[in-house]
Amino acid sequence: MSPKNNLDTRQPAGDSPAAVVSAISRGGLEESEKAVEKLRDLLRLAKKDQEDAMPKIRQILSEHPDLAQRFLYLGRMGEDILIERMTREGDLATRELFRCQLKAMREEIAGENPSPLERLLAERIVATWLQIQLFEGLYASGMSKKSMTIAEGGYHQKRLDQTYRRHLSAIRTLAQIRKLLKGTAITQINIADKQINTTG
Amino acid sequence: MREYVGGGTLGHLAALRDAQERQRREEEAALWKEERERLEALVAPVEQLCEATEILYRATLVAAGFRRHQRGEWRRKREPKE
Repeated sequence: MSPKNNLDTRQPAGDSPAAVVSAISRGGLEESEKAVEKLRDLLRLAKKDQEDAMPKIRQILSEHPDLAQRFLYLGRMGEDILIERMTREGDLATRELFRCQLKAMREEIAGENPSPLERLLAERIVATWLQIQLFEGLYASGMSKKSMTIAEGGYHQKRLDQTYRRHLSAIRTLAQIRKLLKGTAITQINIADKQINTTG
Repeated sequence: MREYVGGGTLGHLAALRDAQERQRREEEAALWKEERERLEALVAPVEQLCEATEILYRATLVAAGFRRHQRGEWRRKREPKE
């Protein structure tokens, strides 16, 4: 899959992420970010004293039942920004094609009746997959132009490695949560022709 | 690498060429810095999504009574026998 794109043209990515975030409803997102920040602190505490942290974590999760949903929306906006960068300006057909492909991937990965967390984890898999496409495209277009400097090449390679790692970790996490919370013995998922088995 | 080419017209031309080359490199570096910042901003929402998802996933497991065994696998905490 590689629609003709504009990766080789250095151009602004349209709306800045900050502008998009403000469009989502800055207040709502800020509130969710604060809740996640509190959870992060409590998870640190849980490493030392789980008994103390667990009820507080449960309380935050029950006070913010829509946390996963809010970040899901942020993920979609993030994907839209990447799609705009990866396609030519005004190429609405390719953009729509991308969106349809991502929607199909999202549904396939999330499975039937997914929990909000499963949907969010599926969203992360799709978003990191898209990020891989972006960095692979940038690297390939730089290589074909033969004008890529060592610094640029190094940056793209580092970013690609990082994104691959993150993508695989996202796949493992989804498989793991399905196993742990639903009690299946082994989970197998196929994403972009790559099969991941998890037992741990 | 430095190379002495002497003074006079030849030296002047060499200095001019060096200055042009230096300017070209500086311009390229500035352009690349700008592009890199643009890319970082571009992927920022996805990065934020990844981070938040990781925290929510861990929090959900802790809330369900799991604990991570030495940064490895998650195990359900054994309930004390009554």
